[in-house]
Amino acid sequence: MDTVDPSRAPFGDALKECVDSKFCGVLWVEGWPGGAIYLEDGRIIACHTPGAPSLEVILLRSGRISESDWNAAFTAAAVSDNQMTAELTSRGLVGAGELEALLRTTVADAVFALVSGRIASWRTELSKESYSLLLSPGVNAAWLLAEATRRTKALAAFPGPALSALDRVALTSAAARRGPPLGQGRDEILALADGRRTARDLAFASGCGLYTTMLQLIRMRADGLVVTSPPSRASKPPGSPEAEPGTEDSDGTTAGLPRRRKDRGGLPQPSGLSRRNVGGSLQMLRPRSERGIKPD
Amino acid sequence: MPSLQESLHRFLAVDGVRMAVLIDIATGMIVQLAGKAGPDLAVTASCVADEARAARTALGPGQPAGDVDGITTVTTTRLHIARILRSHPGEGLLLLVDVERSSSNVALASLRVDELAPAVLA
Repeated sequence: MDTVDPSRAPFGDALKECVDSKFCGVLWVEGWPGGAIYLEDGRIIACHTPGAPSLEVILLRSGRISESDWNAAFTAAAVSDNQMTAELTSRGLVGAGELEALLRTTVADAVFALVSGRIASWRTELSKESYSLLLSPGVNAAWLLAEATRRTKALAAFPGPALSALDRVALTSAAARRGPPLGQGRDEILALADGRRTARDLAFASGCGLYTTMLQLIRMRADGLVVTSPPSRASKPPGSPEAEPGTEDSDGTTAGLPRRRKDRGGLPQPSGLSRRNVGGSLQMLRPRSERGIKPD
Repeated sequence: MPSLQESLHRFLAVDGVRMAVLIDIATGMIVQLAGKAGPDLAVTASCVADEARAARTALGPGQPAGDVDGITTVTTTRLHIARILRSHPGEGLLLLVDVERSSSNVALASLRVDELAPAVLA
């Protein structure tokens, strides 16, 4: 394993190095949201990050594939040691071309979420990390970085303050008075925006990509349907941009109540068994298809 | 099963076709392409996706004319035949085929594109 200090070499260079050396393995990225980029012969075959919904989340949340169908395909793929993508197409749950298109858009979305966040460090690992949904053939890493840059520029071109994936989204009074359905996914966003959910949360809850959701939100903000507010310091996840450890949260919730803190109140946790560990243990008991990232 | 690129390559066998590209309407991203791509293709793809969204807003579902199936643009030298391929989740994908106008006409090019388009997402 090799850890690189980003102050000495930008992340793009490290990725380019992986491409040039036809690297096969995983590029782990620390920071927020952080994640993992899976490469084969220098081409990106998958990208997983908590900052953007995976294809599994997108297909299940959107109702494109039912949970029972997914579980059956997953079990069959595991038993036969088959690729999940092959299992989904052979069962007629999704077309091969459509699945490849969805995988490519999901990988692009994950890379966008990863590189538009804060990258603290990264390391490569020469291992065949198993990942159920792999893109074959892989995608050119330089093209994905260019696409992420295009997306960042497209969002920055809108008027008003820059939109972050961690910004909270609330309805305006104009949205509450809206008449007929607005279409293009706007009604779903308005139904989910409650002042607490962030742009990232809305992407997970609606089963849409992060960039798609952010683009829709920034258009809706320009149309006066939603307002966005940057997260308070304490509500930012560790490692997120501008997050400072040990800062006090003076902000309340949107309802004016004191914000609930993870590290305060509730039952005392036995040493060595944090809430996160309990959650992780419980997650191991669930079917694998349910272990995806949940918004709430 | 053919890959997306193989499916798109079939369009290149049609007379006058220079390029076939699949665009994600929601993001304007080029999903896959086959043929000769110009340097400004990313910008073009984003603009075409915006056009499709705008057309859908004006003529989309719920409107008397029904949903938009495609957009055809004719320039002095080219025909741009665009077909909306339904895909869920998302706003769908746009298949854009760039055809030399001197080698074809709108009706013929549209016919050939419509014959091949259903196989792209299958």
